[in-house]
Amino acid sequence: MTGPDAAARAWRRGLRQRLRRFARRRLVVVGAALVALEVLLAVLAPGLAPYPPNAQNFMRALQPPGTAHWLGTDDLGRDILSRLLFGSRISLQVGMVAVLLAVAVGLPLGLVVGYVGGRLDEVVMRIVDGLMSLPPLVLALTITAVLGSGIQNAMIAIAVVSIPTYARLMRGQVLSVRENDYIGAIVAAGAATPRILFRHVLPNSIQPIIVQGSLGVGFAIITESSLSFIGLGARPPTATWGSMVQVGFQYLEIAPWFVLAPAVMIFIAVLGFNVLGDGLRDALDPSLRR
Amino acid sequence: MSVYLVRRIVATIPIALVTSVFVFAVMRILPGDPVLLIAGEAQSDISPAVLDRIRHEHGLDRPVYVQYVTWIRKIATGDLGRSVRNGQPVADILLPRLLPTAQIGVMAWLLALLIGIPAGVVAAVSPNSWKDWLGMIGALAGAAMPYFLLGGVLIYVVALQLRWLPASGYVSPFVDPLQSLRRSLMPAFTLALGLAAVTTRQSRSSLTEVLGQLYITTARAKGLRERRVILGHAFKNGMLPVVTILGIQLGNLFGGAVITETIFAVPGTGRLLVEAIFARDYAIVQAVVLLISLAVIVANLAVDVAYGYLDPRIRLGRGRRRP
Repeated sequence: MTGPDAAARAWRRGLRQRLRRFARRRLVVVGAALVALEVLLAVLAPGLAPYPPNAQNFMRALQPPGTAHWLGTDDLGRDILSRLLFGSRISLQVGMVAVLLAVAVGLPLGLVVGYVGGRLDEVVMRIVDGLMSLPPLVLALTITAVLGSGIQNAMIAIAVVSIPTYARLMRGQVLSVRENDYIGAIVAAGAATPRILFRHVLPNSIQPIIVQGSLGVGFAIITESSLSFIGLGARPPTATWGSMVQVGFQYLEIAPWFVLAPAVMIFIAVLGFNVLGDGLRDALDPSLRR
Repeated sequence: MSVYLVRRIVATIPIALVTSVFVFAVMRILPGDPVLLIAGEAQSDISPAVLDRIRHEHGLDRPVYVQYVTWIRKIATGDLGRSVRNGQPVADILLPRLLPTAQIGVMAWLLALLIGIPAGVVAAVSPNSWKDWLGMIGALAGAAMPYFLLGGVLIYVVALQLRWLPASGYVSPFVDPLQSLRRSLMPAFTLALGLAAVTTRQSRSSLTEVLGQLYITTARAKGLRERRVILGHAFKNGMLPVVTILGIQLGNLFGGAVITETIFAVPGTGRLLVEAIFARDYAIVQAVVLLISLAVIVANLAVDVAYGYLDPRIRLGRGRRRP
């Protein structure tokens, strides 16, 4: 009955409890299911898509949904369902890479700044405040305009826009975790600062970052589609939801499915990540439970 | 109060400075030499002497920090520079674009309040009821709704099928108030939904918190009707955080305006930003982005001040505004 063993068992018990609580919340299950479906569609797109995403057939342009084309065809006679499926790969990729990039920069920044404090904290947080006073979409637009259009640049722009959120969130967490007695004890025991930060402060501050990460993927998907909609996202003929909406609007009156299909996909994807994020917050933080 | 006010204003200055430096820096690293744009098209062979003259005229040959200070000084006097494309003063281009965005923004803001606060209050008053669930599901859907989906459905159903409202365009309320309202209703509603969702959630959660306070129990214990308890005692305290949300969300309204003005062909500030980006007219982009960020900073300042006014604990420094 030694320490580490008992601690591990207690941790496992805690995890089990947390998982059970997680499953009891219907919203989390719905969110997780939507996200899983989304990932599945993206991964299996080449197998599921009935047509190649860029195969044009001018004889069959702007066909309404039917048996040959379940969601109809676009202005170049391309199958909308196939393009949606391939578009989900881009949306998910942009969403996840952008969030990972933003966390990779924002998390260490908030961690160090919050722990060290003082002048450094003051300067960094003022810069963060300044960046946050710009509307995210406007900032992303401007950055994409500087870098040039394209998927990679959109990812970078969305990541840059998201960094302040993670940095500020992490800093706030560190400020409160730092005050705990167990951190004082570790400092007194003479642990090196990096070890304190990454072994003790970080694990106790990570939960809100996970929640924000899930919400962040939703934000990234909607921002990428907005950039593509404006014409600053992926270049044609790459299928992205936003660029499909952009072209579709020109044919709204005669082919409403052309706008609706990708717009609904964006909605479902964002909803999935938002619901998952909300559910995770409830499941991870018992104090927020009703 | 005045000490609090001054403290808030002073705290805003570094934020505004950071933003202005950022906007300035972004525009300096834009690809393409602005001098070539000013001189005309890049292909034509202009003698280097002419380019140097233009560069000198526009102050582009001076050190960057000098350019920044000159730029700030000009802005402070209302000189936003000239369009790189056609030499028109940026202020002249920008001014007529402000009204549509402001009008639709204010309408969206009011709509969001009218939808969000009642929905949040109803949900908070009867937790876990079908009303609560409906409100929360509505809020989730509203928050995830892309502007194109709602805008597309509205245009297709309301404008193209039912022909109730015009699909796009803008008329100034000073020219024809009724037409102006008819044309701005759909963009305003499209813009409002996301904000309404946030407002619903915030009013629900903060009112729920207030309803758990002891003074509410006291109010109930002394036999007040539930209506009085909610509207007389809980409502004002519960709505405080909603004020903050509405201020913070102003920035998102501007972001949304970029999309909704594109969808509904509204000649507003958001559309101007997109046009300027595609035209590589950095003077306009710079002015629009700076204007938007200043508006957000001022809105946040106003929220802080309003908050201090509504809640004495904050201006006296005995409470913290945000966790």
